[in-house]
Amino acid sequence: MNDHIRKVYVPMTETGFYILLCLRSEMHGYGIVQKVEQLTEGQIRLSPGTMYGSLSKMEKDGLIGFVREEDKRKIYKITPLGTQVLELEMDRIGRLYRNMMEVRENEG
Amino acid sequence: MKDKKTMIRFFSVAEWEKEQEFLRRQHQKGWKLVKINGLCLFHFERCQPEDVIYQLDYNREGMEHQEEYVQMFRDCGWEYLQDYVGYSYFRKPASQMQGEESIFCDEDSRMDMLLRVWKGRVRPLLFIFLFLLIPNLVLAVCDKRYPTAAVFAGLMVVYLVIFAKVGRKFWNCRNSAPKK
Repeated sequence: MNDHIRKVYVPMTETGFYILLCLRSEMHGYGIVQKVEQLTEGQIRLSPGTMYGSLSKMEKDGLIGFVREEDKRKIYKITPLGTQVLELEMDRIGRLYRNMMEVRENEG
Repeated sequence: MKDKKTMIRFFSVAEWEKEQEFLRRQHQKGWKLVKINGLCLFHFERCQPEDVIYQLDYNREGMEHQEEYVQMFRDCGWEYLQDYVGYSYFRKPASQMQGEESIFCDEDSRMDMLLRVWKGRVRPLLFIFLFLLIPNLVLAVCDKRYPTAAVFAGLMVVYLVIFAKVGRKFWNCRNSAPKK
């Protein structure tokens, strides 16, 4: 993982995180939008401009790869580099969560 | 009663938000956008007044892969209208939204669009400014061709106003973007 990837993606935006999380299985952009809406019970609705921009940026940076096209929709999947970045983020968010709970319990 | 109208409106490179608002207000008054062509000619036709959100994206890559680009927006309920001087136009009725939607949902992607506008539109202007306007202005003044100099000076003012506007936009956007 080079400095560019580290600088841009660690930490990453919520949109970026959800894209990588979903692309552990093959999916197209709108599939990700629907999946995230379902996961967050409608709290996060990703927008098409943001999705298109993020997907093409992540493809260029080698975090996700193009698999095939289906009905004018590009299907992507996470790459080994993307998986590495996602794991770093998962560890970071896990730490945030644990710290939050610890502090809350001590206050409790 | 006329059911078609054409308006001339000039929006500079950094004013797409103003343009979006303008189109939305027209639709609220019962005029929906049909097309934009020529030199900033906006063609409208009469329709049922409705609150419809208009959005502009600036994405060369998207324009080159138009089918999949437009499909992404269509899937999310946005109607694609056309491309005009590098911008792509979309609209979606507010009644089909939960809250007010935009084609960008985070500050990072808004900043990315601003950067694309900068690279595609503002940077070329900057080159014209530096390598054409300034030398010509200096030459005209040296040759005492004052009417010509006045024209170049006028253009320079227009350019400076545009740069100031874009600059302010960048500044605002950068300041409101989440700090990492």
